[in-house]
Amino acid sequence: MKMRMAGAALAALALAAAGCGSGSGSEESGKTTITFWDNNGGTRTPIYQELIKRFEKANPSIHVEYVGVPIASVQQKYDTAIAGGDTPDVGGVTTSYLANLVGQQALEPADDWLGKSAVNGKLATPMLDSVRKTVPDGKLYVVPNTSNMDVIWYLKDKLKEPPKSWDEFFTDADSLTKAPDEYGYTIRGGAGSIFQILAEMYSYSGLTEFFDSTGKSTVNDPKNVEFLTRMAGLYKKDTPEADVTNDFPKMVAQFGTGKIAMMHHNLGSYNDHVEAHGADKIGAFALPPGPTGKHTVVANPVDGFAVFKSSEHKDAAWKFVEFLVSQESNSFWNSKTGQIPANTDAQNDSWVSGLPHLKTAVETLNDPATAVVSPPYYLPQFSSITKADTEPLFQKVLLGQMKPQEFLDTLAQKLTDAQAEWKKAHGG
Amino acid sequence: MSADVISRPRSPALPAGTRGRPRRDRGRVLRLYLPLGLYLVFTLVPFYWMLVFALRPAGSTTPVPWPITFDHFATVWNDLGYAVFFRNSVVVGLWSLFVTTVLAVMGGYALSRYRFRGRTLFMVVLLCTQFIPGAMMLIPLFTIFKTLHLINSLGSLIVADTVFNLPLSIILMSGFVTAVPFSVEEAAMVDGCTRLRAFLAVVLPQLRPGLIAVGSFAFIHTWNNFLFALMFVSRQDSFTIPVGLSYTIGEYSADFGALAAGGVVAALPVVCVFAVVQRYLVHGISAGAVKG
Repeated sequence: MKMRMAGAALAALALAAAGCGSGSGSEESGKTTITFWDNNGGTRTPIYQELIKRFEKANPSIHVEYVGVPIASVQQKYDTAIAGGDTPDVGGVTTSYLANLVGQQALEPADDWLGKSAVNGKLATPMLDSVRKTVPDGKLYVVPNTSNMDVIWYLKDKLKEPPKSWDEFFTDADSLTKAPDEYGYTIRGGAGSIFQILAEMYSYSGLTEFFDSTGKSTVNDPKNVEFLTRMAGLYKKDTPEADVTNDFPKMVAQFGTGKIAMMHHNLGSYNDHVEAHGADKIGAFALPPGPTGKHTVVANPVDGFAVFKSSEHKDAAWKFVEFLVSQESNSFWNSKTGQIPANTDAQNDSWVSGLPHLKTAVETLNDPATAVVSPPYYLPQFSSITKADTEPLFQKVLLGQMKPQEFLDTLAQKLTDAQAEWKKAHGG
Repeated sequence: MSADVISRPRSPALPAGTRGRPRRDRGRVLRLYLPLGLYLVFTLVPFYWMLVFALRPAGSTTPVPWPITFDHFATVWNDLGYAVFFRNSVVVGLWSLFVTTVLAVMGGYALSRYRFRGRTLFMVVLLCTQFIPGAMMLIPLFTIFKTLHLINSLGSLIVADTVFNLPLSIILMSGFVTAVPFSVEEAAMVDGCTRLRAFLAVVLPQLRPGLIAVGSFAFIHTWNNFLFALMFVSRQDSFTIPVGLSYTIGEYSADFGALAAGGVVAALPVVCVFAVVQRYLVHGISAGAVKG
């Protein structure tokens, strides 16, 4: 018996040893190998694998090694790699943490490359502007691939006609609530709540700047306070009580049960809704316009590709980036994820007009009357202010333990202080 | 072995002609089985939901997994790369178990049997290392592994996990060794054994509960370690199960079916390990605790 057990243990270790050996690979001879880190590894992995296959076919001398990094840990992974001096050649980067990477001098500016590139003039100007506004020196460190827009998803069998104003929205949320367990709306009270409430408030108030000319935050403007008071008033009346801890997965799962009529999220959750309800059962409308009747959109982070400064194969890296943002690749990528392409030629492809929610988003963004508000992603503290610092306070607002005015005053003060600090550091 | 088994007096034989089971003591049911039953339900409901999500089709909202589908398992195993992640986790887990156990036995024996200057201080330092979170050690470990060319290999995970498992394992093992009387070892040496031979022949067989306790903890800790698995490895074919699990929640989408199926795949080996060794584990922990 003992001998058998010992034999089994040895066999397991032998298997382990074999496994250890197979874990390491060698570079293919005669080829330039570049490493690409996908900043949202998992569901997007097959899309990139297909694009890499196409790229390697067109460029037989370059091999791309794909690494999928889980979205929740991508910032920490980049920070560790930068500190350890082991960064990839190309990485997926969004404007939400771009300033942090640029601050560590990890990225190569793309301005010179773009000037000579075949995609010059074909990338959406608002996305390029959004990337440049994120960093103090105004350079282009990320080549845009896609962007997103906040919409309100709704079930067509519950809501026949999308509301045309916020007043109509509040009326609909109330009338669609039916005891015991059907609700007109669901509030994101957990992780990620602040960005959503900011998008709603600025859409309601029609304010177009996060800071006034003196550098004071506009977040606690009376119209924003008015909106938050109305929205918090929906909690438990027209929304589930569990909303106070609602993060994105819980919110999508709740909407997937068919008990919620409307849900605020962005275009990215389209596939989840289709899977849960079917494409013909769901609809989306842009956040209703403010008092002027014009849409005010808080810009979502722009997602794109950056070449790292320490790359030893920058030419191959730029070639790969150029391939990814070309019309064909960009169209393929965004058609699979249901997001807005950065390539303007891709924006005109037929699949965009075939998806009503995407058509709505592109039309809203391209409407000259629409005002786009850029959140201060460039502030190093922006992420901590809008997450760790204020998400628990927003929960207190929902639970009636804090007044909306007090909450927004706190948020505004933090943003004002951070803006002043940033201006001082950059000679503003 | 017989010492491990607590014998319970048999129930008196039923009188002839008595049918069915004896009447239960209602008080015992209320005091013992009801709280245990409630606790069991509380503990198992999340597992039940994990199984429901893993086995029912996407979009279904039924509370029972019917009709059953294995599509989510196929997704995680084939599309998300769990076949590779699982193999890597097994490799890292077994190596960590083996190395941790061997070193813990040696270290535990030394701490238990020898009196040397700084022994107490060494024990305190071992304990103190448990207060340092792994995240704090990321950058120094990353730099060391890079110098040793261990980055992007499973070797970095084996070394890092073993190092983090060792302090507690050595302390635990020293308690188990102390529980074995030195006179037994002395008797073997009087009979002509060397110290090593006496240890292998007399002490080691009595350390079985300790070996199982330490090995299980090392394996499970390594199996669940997400941070090191993501930070020290940047190759798709070298990631482990915890990294694969996090793939199912994206920035804008969450595949709950795949998440649950991945959870089942991740939990299964741990549950199996516990099912097999729990008898030794419980005995081992209590033995180490009171005789350390």
